[in-house]
Amino acid sequence: MSEVIQRDTMLSYITGSVESSAESVAIRAINERGREDLENTPFPTRKDEDWRFVDLKSITKSQFCKLEEANAADVGDISDHYLPEAMNCRLVFVNGVYSEELSSVEDLPNNVIVGNLAANADNNSVKEHLGTITNYDDDVFAPFNDAAFTDGAFIYVPEETVVRTPIHILNVFTDAEKAFYATPRLLYVGEMFSKSTIIEEHIGLADNQYLNVPVTEFKMFTGSNVHHARIQRDSKKASHVSRPIAILDKNAEYHSYTICLGAKLFRNDPRVIQNAEEVNFTVDGLVLIDGDQIADTHSIMDHRFAHAGSHQLHKVVVNDSAHSVFNGKIFVAKDAQKIDSFQENRNLLLSENGKVNTKPQLEIFADDVLCSHGATIGQLQDEEVFYLQSRGLTEQKSRELLVYAFALESVESMEVESVEKLLLNEVIEYTNRDNK
Amino acid sequence: MLEIKNLHAKVEGEDIEILKGVNLKVNAGEIHAIMGPNGSGKSTLSKVVSGHPEYEVTEGEILFNGEDITELDADERAHLGLFLAFQYPVEVPGITNKTLLREAYNTIARANDREELDPLEFEDYITEKLDVIEMKDEFLSRSINTGFSGGEKKKNEIFQMAVLNPVLSFLDETDSGLDIDALKVVSDGVNKIANDENAIVMITHYQRLLNYIKPDYVHVMMAGKLIKSGGFELAEELEANGYDALEKELVLNGEAQ
Ligand SMILES: Nc1ncnc2c1ncn2[C@@H]1O[C@H](COP(=O)(O)OP(=O)(O)OP(=O)(O)O)[C@@H](O)[C@H]1O
Ligand SMILES: [Mg+2]
Repeated sequence: MSEVIQRDTMLSYITGSVESSAESVAIRAINERGREDLENTPFPTRKDEDWRFVDLKSITKSQFCKLEEANAADVGDISDHYLPEAMNCRLVFVNGVYSEELSSVEDLPNNVIVGNLAANADNNSVKEHLGTITNYDDDVFAPFNDAAFTDGAFIYVPEETVVRTPIHILNVFTDAEKAFYATPRLLYVGEMFSKSTIIEEHIGLADNQYLNVPVTEFKMFTGSNVHHARIQRDSKKASHVSRPIAILDKNAEYHSYTICLGAKLFRNDPRVIQNAEEVNFTVDGLVLIDGDQIADTHSIMDHRFAHAGSHQLHKVVVNDSAHSVFNGKIFVAKDAQKIDSFQENRNLLLSENGKVNTKPQLEIFADDVLCSHGATIGQLQDEEVFYLQSRGLTEQKSRELLVYAFALESVESMEVESVEKLLLNEVIEYTNRDNK
Repeated sequence: MLEIKNLHAKVEGEDIEILKGVNLKVNAGEIHAIMGPNGSGKSTLSKVVSGHPEYEVTEGEILFNGEDITELDADERAHLGLFLAFQYPVEVPGITNKTLLREAYNTIARANDREELDPLEFEDYITEKLDVIEMKDEFLSRSINTGFSGGEKKKNEIFQMAVLNPVLSFLDETDSGLDIDALKVVSDGVNKIANDENAIVMITHYQRLLNYIKPDYVHVMMAGKLIKSGGFELAEELEANGYDALEKELVLNGEAQ
């Protein structure tokens, strides 16, 4: 008989119990399911293959409370963070709580819904899809969100409808006396041949510790198309564990770009699941970290049917003693022929103490498949630095430009001008920090 | 302007001495040519003068307008007006030619208390310089040397020289890889840039370049030293008889060590 070792659960790091206060029956049912999963799933340790490289201390050495007990500061004026392109198409969540006052949704095409989940709990699409898309085995974080969320963002784009204004989902986190947890939630339902652009942001307004565990679900019907930019600028003391997942019907396109700048610990598990033939998707990432930041991406591109094109460019810049982990799984099922999948992980190490772990993982059971993958870890090339310097640029400026050039490609896929500008400034700030 | 005295240099951190006592004096208004067999140290000399961190000066000095510059960084030397057209120009993806040149131009201007150019002024300035070597303006917005043909890379070096307007330029085998038409264009460009106040040192294997850009002095480099200097006729002699003949002649005359 083997010894049963009592392992900690997620709840070990949460003060008090996670009780549902959701009004909607549908949400309460998901809460209930989440709580059960939580109680039955041990919290990961480094012995778990998927967590081998990551130090989870920033979660396990703390206790996180409900927002109500944290004595959180007022949000103040955050209009600097509004996107000019999305002035009338913005949902704001403060510490995970919907703010009707700061949100602004006007002039959308007929029958498009951009609103909060609680207010739309009776919507058929919400009832049908909420909580049905997330699919993470042995996970504690998606269940934690399931157990604790009471509200979130809901976006519904009807058949043949194009939303031209980018939709801005702005999550801000304020200072607080105690470390709290937040469970932002986003459900997107794109009906046949619909199209939109989503900018999902996470911004820490202060320098405090909190735990941000968002779940985003994208249900993409036939021929629908989404451009999903995710910008993570959490506080440098925060822990952020993300569960973004998309499921694609025939001819659907889902293109996601995750930019990681903030958080002490960032763990991101994007998954794209093919639900029919002929889909197209992107799971790009850009990570700029320094200090003692950890950024870990575990992605799955799950090809289950024939004729898919998928693309993953994951670019990473590491400075100081920061640590990046990349594990990119590409699954191709037995009958999923004619898959064209591209994966590349490029790492730029700026310091001696920085660390990079990278592991592509291909599991291909079909034979007529084109899969390319590669990973590089490099430093700035001395010859490049000298070339620029010989033209009169200081060594610092030369290095700065080279890092900027490295990151540029990813930034240019944002498609929304103000977001590109904002990110370029972030890149410049990052490269400046590098040289102090 | 430039005075190199008994210059010895080795690869940084290793025991490989490459320059073994180079002496060279270049005055304003002069054009010099350095010829020599592969591996004799021509490129190394140009890199050591421009401040490449891969090499360490172990003896001798490099005086630029009387100031010893051996301890200066490459960018500080560029601020003084030194320029190197690379034998193998480096590809820098993601940074456009224009970005580099504006940054370089303004950094040099700042270091010399000259007026910087704002983006619009710089646009006009740089467009004018395109004519010097008949370059298409699309090259301005392309990443530095990325995907350029061999000839285009060489042209781009001279274009940068035209924009930065240096006092002393080393052109390291700018002629190799150029077809005859491009050679004429590039030579014309260099001749337009050359004046009484600046100086040019060309490194080449071929006399054909010297037919287009007339040097005042020709030097021969062998095994890390300039072993013979002369006028244009020295280049002709080399073209006719090769380096071996020259070496033998020097040995016979007891000039070579
Ligand atoms: N970083 C280095 N490490 C080791 N050896 C070096 C290094 N740089 C130059 N050398 C050696 O020094 C010698 C001179 O090289 P250099 O490039 O200066 O020759 P060159 O005269 O320019 O030749 P070419 O005509 O082929 O361009 C060569 O033997 C070369 O291999
Ligand atoms: Mg050479």
